[in-house]
Amino acid sequence: MNSFSMPNHESNGATPDYGRRVIAVSVDDVSKTYPVPFLRLKKFLRRKFKPPVEAVRNVSFNIHEGEIFGLIGPNGAGKTTLTKMIATLIQPTSGTVTVKGHDSVSDDERVRLNVGLAGAEERSFYFRLTSEQNLLFFARLYGLSSSDARRRIKELFKLFEFDELARRRFAELSTGNKQRLSVARAMLANPPVLLLDEPTRSLDPIAAARMRSTIRSLAQNSGQRVTIFLTSHNLVEVEELCDRVAVIGKGQIRAIDSPANLRTTHTQQEQVLIHFTSLEAADAEHALRQAFSDRFFTLERTTGEQHWLLKCSRETGDETLDAVLRVLQQSGAIVRSVEIERPTLLDVLESYEKETSD
Amino acid sequence: MISSSILFLRRIWAFIARDWRLELSYRMQFFLRVLSILIVVTTLFFISKIFTGFADPRFAQWHDPLAAWLTGLAVLNYFMTGFSSLANAIRQEQVQGTLESVLMTPISVPTVIVASSAWDFVQATFFSFLYLLFGWLFFDVHYRGSFVLALGFLLLTTVVLSCLGILSASFAMVFKRGDPFGVFLGTGSALFSGVFFPTQLINQYAGAGVAGISRILPPTYGLEGIRRVLIEGEGFSQVREPFFTLVLFLVVLLPFSLWVFGRAVRRAKREGSLIQY
Repeated sequence: MNSFSMPNHESNGATPDYGRRVIAVSVDDVSKTYPVPFLRLKKFLRRKFKPPVEAVRNVSFNIHEGEIFGLIGPNGAGKTTLTKMIATLIQPTSGTVTVKGHDSVSDDERVRLNVGLAGAEERSFYFRLTSEQNLLFFARLYGLSSSDARRRIKELFKLFEFDELARRRFAELSTGNKQRLSVARAMLANPPVLLLDEPTRSLDPIAAARMRSTIRSLAQNSGQRVTIFLTSHNLVEVEELCDRVAVIGKGQIRAIDSPANLRTTHTQQEQVLIHFTSLEAADAEHALRQAFSDRFFTLERTTGEQHWLLKCSRETGDETLDAVLRVLQQSGAIVRSVEIERPTLLDVLESYEKETSD
Repeated sequence: MISSSILFLRRIWAFIARDWRLELSYRMQFFLRVLSILIVVTTLFFISKIFTGFADPRFAQWHDPLAAWLTGLAVLNYFMTGFSSLANAIRQEQVQGTLESVLMTPISVPTVIVASSAWDFVQATFFSFLYLLFGWLFFDVHYRGSFVLALGFLLLTTVVLSCLGILSASFAMVFKRGDPFGVFLGTGSALFSGVFFPTQLINQYAGAGVAGISRILPPTYGLEGIRRVLIEGEGFSQVREPFFTLVLFLVVLLPFSLWVFGRAVRRAKREGSLIQY
């Protein structure tokens, strides 16, 4: 395992209890180092070569049936490599990946039967074929009969509201529609595991919201609870959709937990914004400086002469807010509103990145 | 067993249907190719008239040079498909970026091999047939002997060349560009396999060493067999030698090429270079 702490509060109330649920995807101590092509030859010829790239290091986690599992991290962190390893498109250097109990290297055909991948790569369709012809081709490769394939494609076009674009060539589709078609293709054979690489990238806000709703309903469908592995740079989306999230940086998993737990366990600090009006702002400022240190707060004028904004931070649930409000009221200020900005997954990601670079 | 066979055929049909649809999106190309075959056959007809009355008794297959050239070109077209179609298909999928999507489906490596080249063989069959048809229809070229036996030779030689095609595709999978098999077999077959002239002439003018090259090329045996059947009218007992030589090529090359291709795919997966080109 990696050397970083990995909070994993699976028995905590905020995280669903996965103890009894079947494991759909298991990633066990997986590492991936991209080899240097023709290394021996280059060494023999004394040619310069770049060192091997270690994309993923000692990664382990399980994803349970019906779970939406998110993977976040900066560019080059190893997200795509990990996704492709689960999809059998890249072989791990060490460790094992199993999907529904099938090994991704020795039993790769069965793994592919159980997995649908919607990648971020736009050039994965035949540009001169229509959307329908493209899906028909891939449906037949999944082994669907002609009638089953057509019926399934019709269902998916209805689900993604794609009917009008069915007979349009792939090259003529917008980037967002290409993305939707990619997700539709991943769902052709009704796989129990879906790997979605930035599924709402390039979608307009309404289409993105519908896509999120579709993803959620797939995992919650009582008939077939689809397991979803989702990578995204849209952290709000990850927070909204995922039961658990793994943070990856420089090929290593930094943390795995529910979004709520990740936020609270990683950083207790939250930002407090207090809007107030005061005829004598100097009095209020003086009282604040007497009660707290200068570095504790910032004070700035907002709209009018008498409108002020005070910013300070506190640990969740402590008495700082009460103390600040009391000082303000005693100085004659009238508190108009109080906003609390809780840490987001972006803060979590940023702090892990900082930790990695330190 | 039956269901896996149906699945296999279903997948091959999917590739053929896909390529047919892609072909339909480039209609003009098809008509230009038919026209070019007609022009080539017409040109060869006029060149063959230069040799009227100069037939050398040593070269029984070349008494009618037009018939020899047309069988040569028809068969070469087929052989080149067997040899190059898979490498081209793999390369095209890499360039388009669709190789990963295809390999993401539960399709086996042998199915990819057969299915990727299926449409090319359908096309090659049609265009090869056109060479023979135009010769018969417009220029009074006659063929005799067993067409079934000739077809047997054609299929056997094509499968042997497909094995070399699989090696070529493995090269494309790993090295992306530069294909030594293509250079050797593409130009070598036309020069050394007797497509345009009898192979005996190589021995006469370039010596036994150079002539030996034609003996290690499978197309030489394929073409010899087909011409002896279609032009000289020989039966199976007379063409056993080239037939079994081709079988020997097949027994050695088929398992070897499949093994190499499987390793090439695994290597590309290890390096993560499936979609690179």
